[in-house]
Amino acid sequence: MEVFCTSPWVPPEWIKAHGLEPRGIWLARDFACEPLPLAAGVCAFANAAVRLAERQSQSAVIFTTHCDQLRRGSDAVAEAAPSRVFLFNLPVTWQTPVAERIYCDELKRLGQFLTGLGGHAATAGDLFKVMAQYDRARRRLLDAAPWCSARAYAEAVARFHLDGSVNLPPERGCPQPQQPRIVPRGDTHERLAAAEPAAAGDSRAPGASSIPLALVGGPLPQSQMPLLDVIERAGGRVVLNATEAGERSLWTGSPLNLARPGSTERSVYAAKASVSQAGQDSFATPTTPGGCSADAPLLARLARGWLANCVDVFQRPNTRLYDWLRERITARKPRGIVLWHYVGCDLWRAEAQPLREAFGLPVLLLDADEVAPQRNTGRLEAFLESLQ
Amino acid sequence: MSLRKSEVRSPKSEASGQQRSSQRGTAPPRKLSLDEWDARYEQLSRAGLREPFYGGPLRRHVALEGDLRLRQLRFDNSPAALRLWNFLLTENQRLHAARARGDKIIGTMKDLGTVPVMAYALPGLRAFYPDGAWWTPCLMECSDGLLQQAEQLGIDASFCPVRAMLAAFQNGEHFPRPDALICSTGAVCDDFSAIAQRLEKMGFPILWWEMPRRRPPAPGETACALPGNLSAPQIQMDCVREELERIAQVLSGLAGQPLDTETLARGIRNANQVRRLLAALRQAVYTSPGAPLPALEMLVAEMLAIHFCSDREETVGVLTDLLAEAEARLRQSQFVMAQDAVRVFWVNPVADLRAMNLLEDWGGRVCGSDYMFTHALDLIPEDLPPLEALARTALADPMVGSAQERARRIAADCRLCRAEAVVVSRIPGASHCAREGAVIREVVRAELGIPTIELEVPPICDAMLPTLSSRLQALLETAKARR
Repeated sequence: MEVFCTSPWVPPEWIKAHGLEPRGIWLARDFACEPLPLAAGVCAFANAAVRLAERQSQSAVIFTTHCDQLRRGSDAVAEAAPSRVFLFNLPVTWQTPVAERIYCDELKRLGQFLTGLGGHAATAGDLFKVMAQYDRARRRLLDAAPWCSARAYAEAVARFHLDGSVNLPPERGCPQPQQPRIVPRGDTHERLAAAEPAAAGDSRAPGASSIPLALVGGPLPQSQMPLLDVIERAGGRVVLNATEAGERSLWTGSPLNLARPGSTERSVYAAKASVSQAGQDSFATPTTPGGCSADAPLLARLARGWLANCVDVFQRPNTRLYDWLRERITARKPRGIVLWHYVGCDLWRAEAQPLREAFGLPVLLLDADEVAPQRNTGRLEAFLESLQ
Repeated sequence: MSLRKSEVRSPKSEASGQQRSSQRGTAPPRKLSLDEWDARYEQLSRAGLREPFYGGPLRRHVALEGDLRLRQLRFDNSPAALRLWNFLLTENQRLHAARARGDKIIGTMKDLGTVPVMAYALPGLRAFYPDGAWWTPCLMECSDGLLQQAEQLGIDASFCPVRAMLAAFQNGEHFPRPDALICSTGAVCDDFSAIAQRLEKMGFPILWWEMPRRRPPAPGETACALPGNLSAPQIQMDCVREELERIAQVLSGLAGQPLDTETLARGIRNANQVRRLLAALRQAVYTSPGAPLPALEMLVAEMLAIHFCSDREETVGVLTDLLAEAEARLRQSQFVMAQDAVRVFWVNPVADLRAMNLLEDWGGRVCGSDYMFTHALDLIPEDLPPLEALARTALADPMVGSAQERARRIAADCRLCRAEAVVVSRIPGASHCAREGAVIREVVRAELGIPTIELEVPPICDAMLPTLSSRLQALLETAKARR
């Protein structure tokens, strides 16, 4: 069964380990591909998510509480289809044990929801395997950030969120990416492609003459990806895609450091797992608390790890977003920031001035108003012209 | 003319409503313009009106503080209403005076009714909601420039008028800079969360505390009952309680005294005193055949629940006077809105106070309300550990649960108060208004079958008066036709 998810901060590994198919909404078939009637003030993205939940009667949809529009969008469909709509309470704070506990409880609740959908209880073995697989995929995508074209990269990341696969174009005509640096994200250590993109460092690289930009903001579903082409046609080049399901969503490094059997991490787990037996590979046997309550400490550690990787505008305080951006903006040297947001998205819209102040770069606000692509093109052209 | 606070009668020494009426020279209830209140004030003064330290003619708020909107409002003619308005309109002055006396000022944001109970339990702390600055552009008819300043700070008209708060912090011309800022976050509206985050980036440190989105307990999950006939999983209540413990430590540090169980229990009892008075007032006014007090004064009175307008003892006095006035009028069958007025349940506060006058101008009266803080009206349980009681009350916030839950409570309240129509007032730019209005109207229609409308009321609604009037008229006519 497919389980659509409206936020990258609900770990797809958790869904997959329950035997169901996680589907990031951004590249979902027919998602946000048609103009829908919108009541005043309703976010078109949240509205499209609601429509998807209504349409996909054979699938489940996970909404998150991280924004008011999605939270209340979930209200619109949850009562009609409670068995296949789940509202995941994403904590907004991140520096307290309570935030961790809320996240952990939500994972547990989600596990019960997934088993209710026909999934099986997640075994630790399955979970570790899936986590390793997703970790590898994320690393590959992160490595590609410096050389891959903006459109291809956005599609590749969205594809990963859709089905876990990595589909990157060949590295034609580009120098080999620099060796990525090791940069910590929050409390975890993450291998990160923060390095300068090839074009920024090599004047012979394709696109080197265009103006490097950072694209920061909310969701960029497939229907809005032509924006990236428009930027290129206007003489710009996105060297940092920090939209919701862009590079920002590619955290790596397992919450348990993908501990192998016998390692410290794993032995902590094994010590807690009550169902493992001598001589048996307990790594593959115990189930995690989504399916049963075998191992709450493991889930707590997973929650802590996943929560530590969350970098988004809704967090309070949202300093981690700025720290994350600072690393990459310093390395990739964009000359301007395009702040992409949906009409009605207060969380992103309010950040225009702080972004300007934090990075000393010009910021162009672009909204996902479906009736105004021409206006966006004109604004982009003028913005890039002013940066020349 | 003004009396010092020490001379204000305590609620316990209040005379009965009848006696007080004769002392104050009660006139038949009527709504007065500001000009008419000048004459009324003279009349009352000659008759020996006694006022608290913040008393005086309403006119002075226009002249001294630029509250120009008062010229467009119509006020109840009772001394109790005069006291209410003077109390409301002197809040910033009283906060500055408290600061000068050495009190610590706590800016509590968004939770609407929880943290102030904790703050007022401790000596030397005074909590207020900077959010309240959202009415400043209305009161000052935008002469304050707060909305324009907010726009310069990157918070434009696509945000709720609470953005005025941001500018008020920046220019420091309204309330004093708080000694601490405490803001609930999580299941709150995005406007406020975004604006508060902007505030923090402007150099105003904020203690954020998590308010999870309330959900119904799952089958087999330990549940706990909340005020307002709601329930939540125990785990959510535990999380909120822990967050409140964190706040209690900060408040204790500021007060130099621990907020222990006994102290907080006393604070809760005191808060409940206010809530009981408000409950009695709402009962008296909303369930009576006609309206003994106008909708506008009732809106302001209900607002006192959230942080006692920065003075809990005075809030008790103000509400006691209002209740006595309402009861006296009821005994004499005197109403500001006649018995045939259409009984309207009002949802959400209005950005322009004038809208409440408008409803009555066209023959409606408010018979019930949900101004987004019903959890601040419900009694806080006194038979539970105090922090747990507060956590349960905080979780009962109508804005942190589903729109359906809020709607169901509204429908139940409509039934109790025999509402004939519902007005859902939209707050311009507010993220929660985008969807919840439709849900509320749908539930009310399905359960009660009474007419409903949505109105958007901007901070100054003068330009919208014809539209608002015609929509209200249509609603009221429809409701009347169903009688």
